Amino acid sequence: MSTTVNIRDVSKKFGADVTAVDRVSCEIKANSFVSIVGPSGCGKSTLLRIIAGLVSATGGEISVGGKKVDGPISDASMVFQGPVLLQWRTVLENILFVAEIGGRNPREYQARALELIELAGLKGFENSYPHQLSGGMQQRTSICRALLLNPSLILMDEPFGALDVMTRERLGFELQGIWSASKNTVIFVTHSITEAVLLSDTIIVMTARPGRIQDVIEVDLPRPRTLETLRTSRFLELSARVREGIGTQWEG
Amino acid sequence: MLNASKTALAVAILILLWQFGVPLTAVPDYILPLPTTIWQRFTGTFDLQVYHLAVTAGTTVAGLAMGTAVGIALALLVVYVESLKSIVLPFLAAFNSIPKIAIAPLLVVWFGLGAESKILLAFMLALFPIFVNSLTGLGEIESDILDLSKLAGGNALRIFVKVRLMHALPYIADALKVAFPLALVGSIVGEFIGGNMGIGYLVLTGQFNMDIPLVFAALLSITLFTTLGISAIGIFENIFLKWQPSRRVR
Repeated sequence: MSTTVNIRDVSKKFGADVTAVDRVSCEIKANSFVSIVGPSGCGKSTLLRIIAGLVSATGGEISVGGKKVDGPISDASMVFQGPVLLQWRTVLENILFVAEIGGRNPREYQARALELIELAGLKGFENSYPHQLSGGMQQRTSICRALLLNPSLILMDEPFGALDVMTRERLGFELQGIWSASKNTVIFVTHSITEAVLLSDTIIVMTARPGRIQDVIEVDLPRPRTLETLRTSRFLELSARVREGIGTQWEG
Repeated sequence: MLNASKTALAVAILILLWQFGVPLTAVPDYILPLPTTIWQRFTGTFDLQVYHLAVTAGTTVAGLAMGTAVGIALALLVVYVESLKSIVLPFLAAFNSIPKIAIAPLLVVWFGLGAESKILLAFMLALFPIFVNSLTGLGEIESDILDLSKLAGGNALRIFVKVRLMHALPYIADALKVAFPLALVGSIVGEFIGGNMGIGYLVLTGQFNMDIPLVFAALLSITLFTTLGISAIGIFENIFLKWQPSRRVR
């Protein structure tokens, strides 16, 4: 279950003057974990929404799994910066929401949901409401929700952006574990260089105004990556290269 | 429970002060009757109270139901038909700025002295709070949850039932708590203006005959009815909205 994403000459203009994404082209291989890194306003979130078919591009074309995108795509899910949970639903009900809203029988997904809850360390909180959980637990719930239907493409828009550094690091490692087990294609938008290098197979570095691809970096660090990985010279080299990619546009 | 007993205690102290404090002043009983006098008049006219209160309750609930249905329907229209927003919103804002009480006499001329004019007045007063809160509850949904629903294959109907409506319920419950007393005001004012039925009519009868204990007895009936209505909304909230942080069991 996985999908290649082809992005060809995609542009997005808001009004006449604002170019959020400017002729971006790249291929995201099936089963890979790809990060899009860049400063705020480089159009990375917009690009993610264009891939999902939630926003239409003003130029260019995207295909997901060989199919041209012209509306919300199926077989994909999304994780946002905030947990976006429904306050009237428990953890379990929130995870099952994506099954229900698509007209599927939630009962058939119950076992899978409980499995994900255990995997995400939420066992014992199945019947808690979002307001009873910490921010990290809420975000774990939203990740479980994104994984419930086992979509071939998972789009993550700064999913750990609103969390504290420690929770963020832990969730990063947990995400790596979950992803290794399922190997969906993941497109992960972040502005944390460490997070990008630690998690990705490929890093796409974008520049801001207009949003363009500055560099594409293959991360050849062996998996699974651990806290030790953070101290290797290769990790530091790659981080420096990402930083450089982001940095060049500050000079220019 | 502690809060309820505190409230009961405060009410009891107030009644005792009234009962034993007022005779010490020069205020005569026919101006401000004592609680015991009011209670005697209330129990003595109980059947009358029930009869007139039932009439008022009928027009109030009918007006509230209409206000709720129309308010929610208008909110839905505005939420789903974006182009209507610029037409409906200013119109309703203008409508809300009219003091409805002032057009009550007109309603009596148009719709007669029967229940219709009372129901309409109750409806007009209840409509706005229901509409405004429904609009917030149904319309102000995080765009992320709508995006997520679309990716999971959610169609408009399921998104309405499972997201918008559920999100709107606490807003509508809050609006009902405001709209219910307003609808009651509409009914009573309607009864003041014309007709020979309803608790408002009973209040007026008491006034005409300088039967102040009867006025107070009618006010007691109204208070009991309001309490009952607000409690009913509270019970609804406890059953359907128990997930709300503000009403979790501590």
